[in-house]
Amino acid sequence: MNKPVPYPDLHDEPVREFNDIDASLTYSYANYLNWLFQDRVELIKGKIFKMSPAPSRIHQKISIRISYSLAHFLKGKTCEVYNAPFDVRFPKESKQDKDVFTVLQPDICIICDQNKLDDRGCIGAPDLVIEILSPGNTKVELLHKYQIYQEFGVKEYWVVSQSDQSILIYTLNEFGKFQPSKIFTLSEKVTSSVLPGFELALDDVFQDLD
Amino acid sequence: MNKPVPYPDLHDEPVREFNDIDASLTYSYANYLNWLFQDRVELIKGKVFKMSPAPSRMHQEISRNIFNPIANFLKNQLCKVYSAPFDVRFPKESKEDKNVFTVLQPDICVVCDKSKLDDRGCIGAPDVVIEILSPGNTKMELLHKYQVYQEFGVKEYWVVSQSDQSILIYTLNEFGKYQPSKY
Repeated sequence: MNKPVPYPDLHDEPVREFNDIDASLTYSYANYLNWLFQDRVELIKGKIFKMSPAPSRIHQKISIRISYSLAHFLKGKTCEVYNAPFDVRFPKESKQDKDVFTVLQPDICIICDQNKLDDRGCIGAPDLVIEILSPGNTKVELLHKYQIYQEFGVKEYWVVSQSDQSILIYTLNEFGKFQPSKIFTLSEKVTSSVLPGFELALDDVFQDLD
Repeated sequence: MNKPVPYPDLHDEPVREFNDIDASLTYSYANYLNWLFQDRVELIKGKVFKMSPAPSRMHQEISRNIFNPIANFLKNQLCKVYSAPFDVRFPKESKEDKNVFTVLQPDICVVCDKSKLDDRGCIGAPDVVIEILSPGNTKMELLHKYQVYQEFGVKEYWVVSQSDQSILIYTLNEFGKYQPSKY
């Protein structure tokens, strides 16, 4: 990781326009909290990434289908499932707002350690993260998020492709590196090493989407 | 593999309409050669799979962008690169037309063993197969062909997603199983 570029002194003044932010600078979660504009952004190592204004209807439908079956499975268990918008902070040395430089909003995440949850969301790596690719933001998703999730020890990272009707699962191996699965598609089922006993049929996710 | 359902006696009569084929039956490459209709089909273990009528322009552009550098790289080398339409036959016990039940048309394939090449295409597993996903064909590419390529020992199988702008490479490991790369 590069040394963070010094960012402007923290000010409690809220920022109301995305354009008032200098995207070349490095920001922390403390800055992020002051951003009151509508645009959804994520922070990766202090850099700002604008999210697509609103996910597509199909994206949301897929997201609901997956989280519904997860929520159903997790009833009465300790792990909890959350849907975007939900801030996940990835702290390095300290958990203080001003020392947190990576803040993501995964489409779906599962957190089994209650200590990571607070009123604002999650601080620390979720156990499972699911991202649903939307046309347009795929490169950022794939490169940066993959690295963050691996580096911070997300145990399982699912990449769901709506256009290819496929799911690929990265599982963290004993060396802390992601190991990809084959690409699963219609008629196949996926399981999770994080949630033993959970099974998701891809037909249930992708069929009759229109 | 299931025992092939007996298919109708070979007849040299050409079939001119896709609809004249009974898709519930099992067919061989010998039958396939008699199909003179326009529709592009593939055979997997004797079953007929219809291909999309014509690939999209974007599909073809991606195909060319991958084919050209490979062709360029292979200039004056032993391995040859081919692009669809190009029949690849996957024989099990015998290479006779009537005993070949799997015939695919990969988007791009690289064949390094010249003895696998004949006038009609390739017989036996290519060394590299590249398939470009199009909406609607993902189950074919990601499930059925995946299994065929693994089973017949295609050393590398590239899956190119045009919508996600990504490439995943399956490499055959020492146990004959595909090992995926990252996206």
